[in-house]
Amino acid sequence: MQPDAARPSWQQIFLVCFKIGSLSFGGGLSGWIYREFVEVNRWVGDEEFTATLALCQILPGANVINLVICLGEDLAGPAGALGAFVGFLIGPVLGVIGLYVLIHRLGDATMLSVGLSGVAYVAIGLLMLICWRGLRLSMRTPAVLPVIAAVVVMVSGFGIPILATVLVMAPVSIALAIRSSRRDG
Amino acid sequence: MDDDDFLLRLVLLLVPLSLVSFGGGSSILAGIERGAVGQFGWFDHDEFLSLFAVSRASPGPGTMLATLIGWRLQGWPGAVVATLAVYLPSSVLCYGIHRMTARGRDRRWFRILRTGLAPIGTGLIIAGVVNIVRISGAGPLGLAMSAGSFAVLLVWPGLPLPLLLLGGAVVALML
Repeated sequence: MQPDAARPSWQQIFLVCFKIGSLSFGGGLSGWIYREFVEVNRWVGDEEFTATLALCQILPGANVINLVICLGEDLAGPAGALGAFVGFLIGPVLGVIGLYVLIHRLGDATMLSVGLSGVAYVAIGLLMLICWRGLRLSMRTPAVLPVIAAVVVMVSGFGIPILATVLVMAPVSIALAIRSSRRDG
Repeated sequence: MDDDDFLLRLVLLLVPLSLVSFGGGSSILAGIERGAVGQFGWFDHDEFLSLFAVSRASPGPGTMLATLIGWRLQGWPGAVVATLAVYLPSSVLCYGIHRMTARGRDRRWFRILRTGLAPIGTGLIIAGVVNIVRISGAGPLGLAMSAGSFAVLLVWPGLPLPLLLLGGAVVALML
């Protein structure tokens, strides 16, 4: 699919990002961003979207925020990137605080604590699904399983800070990736 | 401790995490827990768990927990500072690299970096799950609920998440 619409203004980008950010629950948002930017508004082509998404997944940070910033920059320069960043985050910031205030007005403390622990257990299941998908992808290159295990043991077992863990393990993991890419030719 | 100290500590905790949040916001859950509960003692286990729950029941990316922590500590200024501290550093980095590499991205290096960094992200998210389960004090029942929601999502990925989370609250209240 090729882009065929006029380039959007930063205000249009702001509004689309505001909509996606405000109505987005539980991740998987890059699919929705694809729909809005590529399919509905036709601002971006398929290939460009995929290449940009790949970069955003490599770099640290929420993939969706990275994605809207890059698309915003491509479409409307720095103002587009800023509009995308602010637009995407306003809804979630107000939403998370509003929800906290709301549910603490609704119930008594004990009920809330029990109910929210139920929500937390379900949310943990959701994170487990993300881990599961990551593990399945990693199965393609079995050499990385020890890397995953080492990260978990360092962070959860020994309580080593995430920064230190990443500084040690990222070079190891990238070196393994280089080696396996050489072997594959 | 005065207000500025809180905000400063929040920034010093979140900015480095932002720059190593490979695999998305969820990957620094363990780091936020370690800082906010273990290192600074801002919240007890129960309260941290309910902040985590609220952040997961709200729209937005996986790190809205930081915003909520900032808000609980310092009101609106805290919320704004925490949000910027956790999203701005990674965003500026991404913006810069995107601009610099706009021409001639080497696909081979792209693939290598992605292959190399993906397991780091996965490992960090697993560590986050381990830490949050640990502080949740989940009994067999809680673990069964997590396993249940995992299984439900595995067979029915399109399930509306607010519904599932609400179901979790109802089940916990009934049992």
